[in-house]
Amino acid sequence: MEVDQQHPLVLPGDTIDPSLIPTHKKQPLRLGPGLRHIPPNAIIPTVAGQLIADHKKNSMWVEYNGGRYIPSPNDLVIGQIVRSAADLYYVNLTPYTSSATLPQLAFEGATKKTRPILAPGALIYARVTLANRHMDAELECVSGSTGKAEGLGPLTGGMAFDVSLGLARRLLMARSREEGGVEVLELLGGEGLAFETAVGRNGRVWVGSESTKTVIAVGRALRETDEGDLGVEQQRKLVKRLIREMR
Amino acid sequence: MPREAEPSLNERQFVLQALQENLRLDSREADRYRPLEVTFGDEYGVAKVSLGKTRVLAKASAEVTVPYADRPLDGVFQIATELSPMASPSFEVNRPTETEVLLSRLLEKTVRRSGALDTESLCLVAGQKCWSVRVDVHVLSHDGNVIDASCFAVVAALRHFRKPDTSIEGGILTVYTPAEREPVPLGWLHSPFCVTWSYFGEEGEMALLDATRAEEQVRVGSCTISLNRHGEICQIAKLGGTPVEAVILLQCTAIALTKVKEFSAYLDKKLAEDIKRRDAGGRSAELTAENDR
Repeated sequence: MEVDQQHPLVLPGDTIDPSLIPTHKKQPLRLGPGLRHIPPNAIIPTVAGQLIADHKKNSMWVEYNGGRYIPSPNDLVIGQIVRSAADLYYVNLTPYTSSATLPQLAFEGATKKTRPILAPGALIYARVTLANRHMDAELECVSGSTGKAEGLGPLTGGMAFDVSLGLARRLLMARSREEGGVEVLELLGGEGLAFETAVGRNGRVWVGSESTKTVIAVGRALRETDEGDLGVEQQRKLVKRLIREMR
Repeated sequence: MPREAEPSLNERQFVLQALQENLRLDSREADRYRPLEVTFGDEYGVAKVSLGKTRVLAKASAEVTVPYADRPLDGVFQIATELSPMASPSFEVNRPTETEVLLSRLLEKTVRRSGALDTESLCLVAGQKCWSVRVDVHVLSHDGNVIDASCFAVVAALRHFRKPDTSIEGGILTVYTPAEREPVPLGWLHSPFCVTWSYFGEEGEMALLDATRAEEQVRVGSCTISLNRHGEICQIAKLGGTPVEAVILLQCTAIALTKVKEFSAYLDKKLAEDIKRRDAGGRSAELTAENDR
């Protein structure tokens, strides 16, 4: 998103122009990531980034490309099994941090007798159910309300690529092209490549496909988009180049 | 101590499967290096080398000390390597890992023991005073193949380095500041470079140059060959791992020679560019007190 008067760049501790804070008659103001309410009536940013306000939902947050993932509830993440204990798995969301836990019964149709057996190093796609700063995060691979997997569970085959947290977030947006400005995956699909992806909010993207070449092309497209901070037009050029190189 | 993060099973399998099909994750050929780049600092003797995402900084410095008692005619030359947590959280300060020990040992063998630097030219007064040249190697980020990048950085830093000019009159040693006399380069005899091959497959039948971190984590063995552009081999280190057939090793050495010639030409070009950049007024030839060897 462009930096302008409505979406200014903020630094930690800056004062926020009161005219930018959304007001709504009924809904309470919701503060998203990167903002902190200091009672009675001060709101200060805690990270450097772009201040975004949504007047319809009466919410505001700071958009930033952080380097470190901090779990928060309902995030979809890709984790790596570290080891299994009596009734849960220890899962790493980011290397060199304390691991999250995943109950062995939190899979679709799992009972005490039929639980999935995952080796250390296996990848899973999961949702964060519990996260606070004093405890390790908890994960689940099944929807609590429907009892269905809904796409979550072990990821077999394929390859996991590391991307920045900002790109992972943009990829996960419902309208990633309009809001996030990432189009590479759609473009690659449009060129006739068959692949499936799972995007983890913790900065990992899993790509699966029958053909190794396709996976490598998708991985390179994601990496180059991320590192070069490419716009939509440049992403088109990149995809054309990658497709040409594949043939 | 934090253990190095293991790649997931999927990544392990995929990297190996792709290699079976002669594909690498960044679509390089097996014997291609990532883009190598060297930049010199404003000070003499600072070289920053980047090899893809691997970055290494080397800084050469010199001071006057007393020579070792058993070698009164030689100067002191040492290489200090440091893998800090900045390169990867699995490295700790003051607790060298195996990687770090191997790195310093290989640099020692390649640059110091091969006599690349003429230590006799560092002697000032026999048995009393000599130059002590020290190179500090800092790995800034680790994305595989730290050895080749570090070796290149050390050689680049030493060749870029200028030590203060000195004179001895009536037994009194004078060290001149750069303002008084133009600093002089070190006595450099040849430029050795490391080329590291990584082996994959059951019997190490696939060989790759310049492995990234992901590839390094799944390789079955590696071999570091150090040589200069004349094809004089300083050392070959194949430390453990799967045995590799002699024919493959011979091929690797032949390719390593072409790579080293490229490195050598690239470094010569970059050093010449740097001299040109510093020589703004075009008077450096007049200022120098150095004679042709």
